[in-house]
Amino acid sequence: MIRLQNIEKVYRTDTVETLAINGINLDIAKGEFLSIMGPSGCGKSTLLNIMGLLDEPSKGSIRIADQDITRFSDQQLAKFRNQKLGFIFQSYHLINDLQVLDNVELPLLYRSGSAKERRELATEALAKVGLSNRIKHFPTQLSGGQRQRVAIARAIVGRPQIILADEPTGNLDSAMGNEIMDILISLNKNDGTTIVMVTHDENMAHKTHRLVRLFDGSQVQ
Amino acid sequence: MFKHLFKLIWNKRKQNFLFLSEILVSFLVIFAVFSLLTFYYLNYMLPKGFESERVWSVSYSRNAKTNNIDSLNIFYENVRRSLKALPEIEELSFTSANFPYSNSHSTTGFTYKGKEMSPINNYVVEDDYNKVLGMQLLEGRWFNKEDINQRSVVINSTLKQAMFGDEPAAGKIVGADNEEEKWKVIGVTADVKAEGDYWPAGKSFYKRLDTGSFRWVGHILLKVSPKADAAFESRLSKLLARIIQNSNTEIQHMEDTRESKNSDTVIPMIICITVAGFLIINVALGLFGVLWYNISQRRGEIGLRRAIGATGSSVSFQLVSESLLLATLSIILGSFFALQFPLLNVFNVAASVYIIALLLSIAFIYLLVIFCSLYPGKQAAAIHPAVALHEE
Repeated sequence: MIRLQNIEKVYRTDTVETLAINGINLDIAKGEFLSIMGPSGCGKSTLLNIMGLLDEPSKGSIRIADQDITRFSDQQLAKFRNQKLGFIFQSYHLINDLQVLDNVELPLLYRSGSAKERRELATEALAKVGLSNRIKHFPTQLSGGQRQRVAIARAIVGRPQIILADEPTGNLDSAMGNEIMDILISLNKNDGTTIVMVTHDENMAHKTHRLVRLFDGSQVQ
Repeated sequence: MFKHLFKLIWNKRKQNFLFLSEILVSFLVIFAVFSLLTFYYLNYMLPKGFESERVWSVSYSRNAKTNNIDSLNIFYENVRRSLKALPEIEELSFTSANFPYSNSHSTTGFTYKGKEMSPINNYVVEDDYNKVLGMQLLEGRWFNKEDINQRSVVINSTLKQAMFGDEPAAGKIVGADNEEEKWKVIGVTADVKAEGDYWPAGKSFYKRLDTGSFRWVGHILLKVSPKADAAFESRLSKLLARIIQNSNTEIQHMEDTRESKNSDTVIPMIICITVAGFLIINVALGLFGVLWYNISQRRGEIGLRRAIGATGSSVSFQLVSESLLLATLSIILGSFFALQFPLLNVFNVAASVYIIALLLSIAFIYLLVIFCSLYPGKQAAAIHPAVALHEE
């Protein structure tokens, strides 16, 4: 589903050159649940951003869902992200001025479809994460766990093949974290969604199919 | 998408209050300026209605030693004959003080079929007044000897329209209900813009100067030939001093008074435009700042939108659209206030002036908002999603 070949990412300023990712090769199969671990600054999020097409590698090639996205234009990348990828972030990234339902509908605004369809899909996604009774609430009226569930609903509303989760349990206590993890496992198991998760939590990482460890931008396991 | 944007704006109405107020105030100021400019422009485009070139006005103090009407008539007939004898003078007419560009006003009111008309400019003139000013007659005739001891009036086109609409005016009787105040309309002239090029003619009527009124008259209008120069003006001045003894006489060129009259309008207009211009520059900088601040506060949201499928240009389009939607809310509110002006006929100005000004103001505000939001929108489009999402 995702093939990274010899990926390298270098951040350059006028005086300093920092190698964030160094020669990563990774194959992620369809329906796999993979976790990435490593100390802070080892390049986990950079790698996830590259997989999510939010950042470009300095070197190497990426194939996602059998497509070489290396030469995609801004418009093609946006369309690809919208249709194939779902994102979950540690700090949720919900829009506080929109109700839960509107937040979940967001990815559908960037594709064709009627308002009624969008509403139905968003309601369905919220039902999947157990938040049907919170659709009219604003994010600020929800707990951390509930906000992350809204973020998951937003990630799955467009029925993507891949979900990229950047420390989805990082801001939550263990009970809430387990709840979120259970939802992700069920999405992987029931819908066959490929999930790549960056985490600091060994317990969470061990619940996934495969664990990749990074150190100083290189894969060590 | 617009419904989504509207919802976002509505839910953030408190944060957007500053933006909304700024646009509303600018809209009202711009509406006032455009109303003024439209009013002046529309008037400027109307024909002047007479020829002010080579027209001189002579003002003299009335200090004749006699009040005897016959003696006065002889005296003024002598003045007329002396002036007419000069080859440089083509036409002349004694007139009341309110000749064009004179800063003097005389108004009255008329009724017709119970309809009251006021204020109406009241000009007292002689038989050759229309020749001096080259006025255009639209209907009927100007004064002549037939009107001696008759209650005849010539009205202008505006007054004719107000009183009779498209019906012919010649022969109609106007005035107050009592017989002494009734006047017969004998002709209709084109409108004369007596207050300058930027002001409307208003409703006007002309009465014939009768011999009994000479004691009140202190002005003569002269149509001079192209040969009339400064030397002639000097000779004329001396001649007037000789024939109207013990009087202060003053000769003015109507073109000069026209320029001065126009300056009275143009200078405040320029001051007004300058002040409004500075205000608009301030508003534009304010809008720019507010939009810039909004974007810096919404970097996470912009990063998220990019991540879930927005292109750079759609982010830019969204921010410009949000600004335009906010501007629309202010414009709707501003238009409500602006529309009261034509509805209540404020300042007695034609509704079309306010409507044109309203449309110009709407277009101006939209252009201003687009101008101020394009660059911040472009900057928002350039935000790197990975960086913006990492910052939160």
